[in-house]
Amino acid sequence: MTDTTPPEPTVKPARRALRDRISIVWVVPLLALAAVIAIAWQSYADRGPLIEIAFDNASGVRAGNTELRFRDVRVGLVEEMSFSDGLGKVLVRVRLDKSVAPYVDDDARFWVVRPQVTTQGVSGLGTVLSGVYIEGLWDDRPGETVTRFDGLSDAPLERVGKSGLRLTMRASDGAALTENTPILYRGVEVGRVGKPVISEDGTTSEAEAVIFAPHDRLIDSATRFWDTSGFSLSFGAGGAAVNFSSIASLVSGGITFDTMLSGGTPPEPGAQFTVYSEESEARASIFSSDTTGTLTLSVLFDGNIAGLSAGAPVELNGLRIGQVEALGGRVDEDASGESAVRLAVTLAIRPGRIGLDGADGPEAALDFLRARVREGLRARLATASILTGGLKVELIEVADAPAAELVEPTGAPPILPTTDNEIADVQATAEGVFERINALPVEEVMDEAITLMRNANILVAGDDTRAIPGNVNSLLSDARALPPRLDATLAQLETLVAQINEDALTTRLASLLDEAAEAARGVSTASDGVPDLVARLEGIAANAEKVDLDVLAADLAAFLESTGTLLAQGDTRALPRQLNATLAEVSLVLEQLRDGGVVENTVATLDSARSAADTFAAAGGDLPGLIAEARAVLARAGTTLEGYQASGGMGRDARTALREVEAAAKAVASLARAIERNPNSLIRGR
Amino acid sequence: MDLPEGLTTARARGLVGCTRCTRPSPAGTARCPRCGSPLQSRDPLSLQKVWAWWLVGFGCYIPANLYPMLETRTLVGSQSDTIVGGAIDLASHGNLGVAIIILIASVLIPVGKFVILAGLAIGVRHGPQISDHRRHILYEVVEYIGRWSMIDVFVVAILSSLVQLQALATITPGWASLFFALSVIFTMLAAQSFDSRLIWDTAADAKKPVAPQNEPSRERTA
Repeated sequence: MTDTTPPEPTVKPARRALRDRISIVWVVPLLALAAVIAIAWQSYADRGPLIEIAFDNASGVRAGNTELRFRDVRVGLVEEMSFSDGLGKVLVRVRLDKSVAPYVDDDARFWVVRPQVTTQGVSGLGTVLSGVYIEGLWDDRPGETVTRFDGLSDAPLERVGKSGLRLTMRASDGAALTENTPILYRGVEVGRVGKPVISEDGTTSEAEAVIFAPHDRLIDSATRFWDTSGFSLSFGAGGAAVNFSSIASLVSGGITFDTMLSGGTPPEPGAQFTVYSEESEARASIFSSDTTGTLTLSVLFDGNIAGLSAGAPVELNGLRIGQVEALGGRVDEDASGESAVRLAVTLAIRPGRIGLDGADGPEAALDFLRARVREGLRARLATASILTGGLKVELIEVADAPAAELVEPTGAPPILPTTDNEIADVQATAEGVFERINALPVEEVMDEAITLMRNANILVAGDDTRAIPGNVNSLLSDARALPPRLDATLAQLETLVAQINEDALTTRLASLLDEAAEAARGVSTASDGVPDLVARLEGIAANAEKVDLDVLAADLAAFLESTGTLLAQGDTRALPRQLNATLAEVSLVLEQLRDGGVVENTVATLDSARSAADTFAAAGGDLPGLIAEARAVLARAGTTLEGYQASGGMGRDARTALREVEAAAKAVASLARAIERNPNSLIRGR
Repeated sequence: MDLPEGLTTARARGLVGCTRCTRPSPAGTARCPRCGSPLQSRDPLSLQKVWAWWLVGFGCYIPANLYPMLETRTLVGSQSDTIVGGAIDLASHGNLGVAIIILIASVLIPVGKFVILAGLAIGVRHGPQISDHRRHILYEVVEYIGRWSMIDVFVVAILSSLVQLQALATITPGWASLFFALSVIFTMLAAQSFDSRLIWDTAADAKKPVAPQNEPSRERTA
């Protein structure tokens, strides 16, 4: 080397900075280390407490995989699983999120959510794919941290945000509790029934139930529940009716409730209620289930109490105030020392039903009863149902009852005095009614009716019957020709009256009468002729009155009789022919009547009457002659009337015939109607 | 380095080669006159860098094996497998070949890299146990093969981007894939930081025990 430059001093380590001796790259592992430490510390600081949940069955729960959820949001993870001492339970340790840890206090509940298919629907379907998870439920108030919990085997009834009143339901006979059954009130679901279990005494089933807030205020100690599941079928006047409350309740059952009495107290959480199979039972139970505040009385009845049973109502003036608790007999000595078996009936009275509730309810009621018994309150048996013969106990006031007291033996319920029973003997009454019905000649009536119907049937079926309508028609057309002629007659009558008016007959008659009065006063000899005239006039009037009605009625009766005889004879073929002949005769008569009969005669008579009146008028001045003439005229008029009566026989006959025809036509019409209503009768003969 | 007789190294001739453009410059030149990159005959902090990257890479390799590499969520459940667990799973299902490939790519190669790098660094400091030629081959292999370790990460990335069938099946990369990628990156950096010229020095040192151990001082003297 030719380099002359002296070597630089080599001692420089001190000056060499840290940067030269140590690589900057070391920062990377330092940063990594710092990151690791930071993350580790943070995760340690952030992790929540470890809680332990004991499950009977942890099927599907996997350590490190199964989540704890609250409101369906993950708030923890199962870290490990083990068994409790004795392998009785599965202990699941769950690492809680720190944020929810304060809320998980001793009211927290945990259960495993699994897929479930029930009649109410499908739940937890998501867990089929995602695996089960543990659901937690706790309130929104932080509490003391608890680390040991007992898991529920099933989901609780409450849900998040649906808290409520927890009750215990007990099924009565005939009612069935089903898990998840809705509790309905006025058709609205207000609660739910949990999983039923057999009660401790083994007699029935019990289930937890929850009434969601705010409907829990509908429940008090007087509330009764009953089963509305299934459907009821009823037949009545309105037809058949199928009733069920909802399809869901038809499938899965439903429970509804009502508060039967006022004044119930709000129930404690977990209070026990009975679910009855029917509403009526539930309503009846208001007396049997609640024994608090009841007053027990005893009544000794003589005689037969068949029909009285435990649970029968006890009524005061028709108001149900209690029920029969028990029936029994006891040997009792009566007043005369004779011992006899008497029937002891124990009654449970609810003083609350007569307004005597309160703290001293039974005692106050007893005082009340003592006073009332002195005034004549007595117990008696009465018929509760005339169909079943069931009896009830009635407490009534008997006005003139023999004095009695409420007997209060020590150690036994007070004994109410009795009075005569009022038991309706339905059987005897019904028997009497049936005997009367039996005595009725039903058979004979039926036979006769059948015979009549047969006769009528044969008559109608006859060929001649068909001819009747034609004849009737012709007869009617003949009859139609009458009115014009009658009209003419009436016109003539009108003319006559007008003429009489024109002749001022009235005034002349008045003056004539005045003169007659004077003449009567003056001439006493003529007076004996007047009563005779009056008598004759009366006779004529009587004749005129008598003419038609009686004879007509008699004839009609005779005709009807003969008709009846005819029908009864059964000479049915001849009848229509005869009827036809009769109709022909009738039409003949009518024709005669029209051709030269009564009308002309009447007109002539009236004409002669008018001329007579004219003559009378003309002879107005001569009273004795007038009277004599009037007598003659009246006599002639009487004769004419008599003649008319005689010649009126024809008219009468015609009228009679018309009535007969009318009756025949009516009979035909009713027969025609009968056939129209029931054409089969022609074929079947009835 | 075993040089044929009559040949000397550039360093022995007072030259320093540019590691970027290979132009030799006189020793002591601060920057390459051609490409301007800093010139150093030997990197004095090479071993420090190697160890630093090696440590971070190794640190990342531990969680890469502990955490799941793939999280497979299908209709019937979810499954998450670590690298080794997955390979064993595959082997037990009969896919022995695939299992072996996974084991080689994800376990054998990274572990081998760590061992070789550590061995090279130790050899530089404390004297080699095997010939410098072999050590150089090992170094070349490590540097070449390093990038191929990323194939695991690629597989995970492709799978997780392809299999996104909503509820039916979903594959998401686990934490291990991130750590594995970091581990590969850091070991590659470690391999790059290793100044392969040091291998020659130790070979020369082994031949000429008189040569000073301190490279900077040697640099100065060179």
